[in-house]
Amino acid sequence: MNYGFLALLVLLFVLIAVALRQRQDFGPILMRFCEQFAKLVPRMLCALVAAGFIAQLIPKQTISGLLGDDAGLLALPVAAATGLIVPAGPVIAFAIAAVFAKAGASTPALVTFVTSWSMYAAHRILIYEVPLIGASFLRLRALSVLPLPFLAGGIAFLAGLLTHYGMLPVPWTAG
Amino acid sequence: MPPLDFLRDPEWRRELRADAFGKGFWGFFAAAGILGVVCWLVRGQEAFLDALAKDAVLLVGLMPRVVVALSIAALVYFMLPRDRISGLVGQESGVKGLLVATAAGTVTPGGPSSAYALLAVLAVSGADRGAMVAYITAWATLGLQRVLVWDVPFMGAEFAILRVLVSLPLPVLAGLIARRLPLELHVREEEDARRPKRSGART
Repeated sequence: MNYGFLALLVLLFVLIAVALRQRQDFGPILMRFCEQFAKLVPRMLCALVAAGFIAQLIPKQTISGLLGDDAGLLALPVAAATGLIVPAGPVIAFAIAAVFAKAGASTPALVTFVTSWSMYAAHRILIYEVPLIGASFLRLRALSVLPLPFLAGGIAFLAGLLTHYGMLPVPWTAG
Repeated sequence: MPPLDFLRDPEWRRELRADAFGKGFWGFFAAAGILGVVCWLVRGQEAFLDALAKDAVLLVGLMPRVVVALSIAALVYFMLPRDRISGLVGQESGVKGLLVATAAGTVTPGGPSSAYALLAVLAVSGADRGAMVAYITAWATLGLQRVLVWDVPFMGAEFAILRVLVSLPLPVLAGLIARRLPLELHVREEEDARRPKRSGART
């Protein structure tokens, strides 16, 4: 995760250097920064706290039982719904995915879960999408990506019929 | 005018406060409170306090990122040649525009703070709805940095490669769907642009 922050820092310094060379006026830039900050941060604090409580309320063990190979394609809706309600960043989402993998969840189910989470991560919607872009974009995007988790899981399911490449068990979960 | 004069402008400060602690904020505040009560009742005090402790850790890690990401977005907002972007990903850009948006989303580093801040820049640069959806979908599901940092260590390289291959067509598909959905789209930035005295008006 720190690599991401480093990449951002480097990008920031490069941009500042370019801006200095272009003799950009920093007044409006700072003004826009303050405006975006005001839109984002107070809501972000509340959404963060709310998401933390929801993460406590999700029944992880019950769900992982429904995602095994026996469930076949039926596991996909369960996985998609679970991804939908995980209101947390990648640390928690992938930790949950690893719990599922250990409990014997199938690869298509995990692909569906990760895809669904990545598209609907509730905290991201509440913290960033609505304050910065607006609710009407959220509505449009949520409907547009609705079939995608199932498609991803479905393609992974078909791929599993042809090859074992990428199919679990993940090396370290075996044994 | 001196660059920092806007800080003393009472009108600007009033609008800033309205943005920060408006209706939206209190909605979030109430949701957090209600969920906190539910969590306490269902899972007990320990889980409640555990959640708060994790929130605090997350917040400390998050704030520097938010500051850096918003700085980048503010710089990009003024430095990017916006007319050229609208040519690349505007309404007339077709599938090519969706592919460009997908590529841009895939290489955007950082978490949601940077991706959504840049999406806001795209929105005011004339990107169409399909490109906006494709961009954020690509960042979310194909983002290279996220795949390397999260998929590979947690799930193994093979799973990561499989997931990326399976997901390659998804952002363009989402963009095509978004272009066909009969929904109205009002982007916050555009509303700002109609109000005078705000940086959003400087297009």
